[in-house]
Amino acid sequence: MEKRYEETAKREGLVRIDSGIPGLDEMIEGGFPFPSVVLVSGSAGTGKTTFALKFLCEGAKKGEQGLYFTTLSEPTQWMLRYASQFNFIDKEYFGDQIVYMDLGQLMREVDSNQLLAVMEEKIAEVVPQRIVIDPITVVGGMLKGDYRLFIFDLFNRLKNWNATTLVTGEVHPGEMYPPEVSYAVDGIILLMLSEEGGARRKYLEVLKMRGTNHLTGKQSIDITRKDGVMVLKARF
Amino acid sequence: MNDKDLRQMQGLMDSLERNGLKGAVVLDLPSTQFVRINLMLLKGLSEDRGLAGMFISVDRPHQYMVHLLSMHQIKAAGLIFIDAISRFSADSKVASANVGFVDGPFHIDRLPTAMSQWEKGNGSKAKLSECKFAIIDNLSSLLTYNSFASVELFLRSFVKALDSSGNVIVPLLIDSQKSMLLYEVARSISREEIRVMDIQKGMDNKPMRISDQNFRVEGS
Repeated sequence: MEKRYEETAKREGLVRIDSGIPGLDEMIEGGFPFPSVVLVSGSAGTGKTTFALKFLCEGAKKGEQGLYFTTLSEPTQWMLRYASQFNFIDKEYFGDQIVYMDLGQLMREVDSNQLLAVMEEKIAEVVPQRIVIDPITVVGGMLKGDYRLFIFDLFNRLKNWNATTLVTGEVHPGEMYPPEVSYAVDGIILLMLSEEGGARRKYLEVLKMRGTNHLTGKQSIDITRKDGVMVLKARF
Repeated sequence: MNDKDLRQMQGLMDSLERNGLKGAVVLDLPSTQFVRINLMLLKGLSEDRGLAGMFISVDRPHQYMVHLLSMHQIKAAGLIFIDAISRFSADSKVASANVGFVDGPFHIDRLPTAMSQWEKGNGSKAKLSECKFAIIDNLSSLLTYNSFASVELFLRSFVKALDSSGNVIVPLLIDSQKSMLLYEVARSISREEIRVMDIQKGMDNKPMRISDQNFRVEGS
């Protein structure tokens, strides 16, 4: 009897939150671990930002707070102009339930400790359950100080703030993930483009998800106006 | 905290006060909202009502809650942090607070003794015996480091000890959807259960009675 209790308690130990990506949660035992840091890696045009926005909107739909750090100095109006083409984007979420913060200019001016402090101030203000840093790979090229140490400190603190964070990583075609980031994350999701029969097909692969018996192998995905990124064929 | 948070905090405190602010009370809510609700509880109990209390950190170092309190300008002068996780967290975050570090969160059965020893040796004015509320952040995390049986035993003796010392309120934050067994134990030793549900966009924020004994407080 006691053994059964222990087994049940163990199963109940890890909290998961919906990814918002149709078909993905079934591949990762119900959702992303909470809290955790997950890297969404891929080359240009694979759907990383769409993936991240859907993740935030899914949380907002459930009443959760979201925080979107952009490192690209892209004003909210431009981000929203393109993102609003997706049906899942509700502009009402932005500003209140999903808070947008541009780190682009700041990264040019401060060192890693100051950047971390500013990000933590914002996190403490918003108290988000979901955070996105899009893209994290820009930070390494611009930041003064030790990038790897910054990544370690940042990811450790993000989890202690009790949020699930998606960081997007831009890679060159053929490259899987940015190695200086991948060592510190709890999960890695690859988004890929592959030329087959004259057409470019999109795939998703869960490469790593700690504490999760995840499905392995490439899964076909599509990016639609209705759902954003969605897994087309998951073999369960 | 925004207006919505403050309204939810008020609804939460109203529900707790109906019970006279004493004894164990289960707060059933999604795990993702624990931090937010802890912040509201600390504002309502410590700042607004001026109660001395203890906040036991087992999920993340106490510095994060200290930072949150500071960021939201919540004055919690009578708050004592018991930090049972910092020594295992490899975290360099700095914060200033009235804090005792105890070993743990392994061997949770030894926590009361460790707290008592810390109180005797701390040399400060902080008295755990004068606390009027106790919050554990969070119960489910204890299961990561301890067997279910030892967590259950700890919880029962912890609540019993505080109950016998008078008017001490012990809010037990649990996600019944994720931690059913612990939820059942917490319910069995609590005077009341409050279901704290996240408000979805556009929903009414007003507290709503769902039964004679239970209240659902809507808000985010």
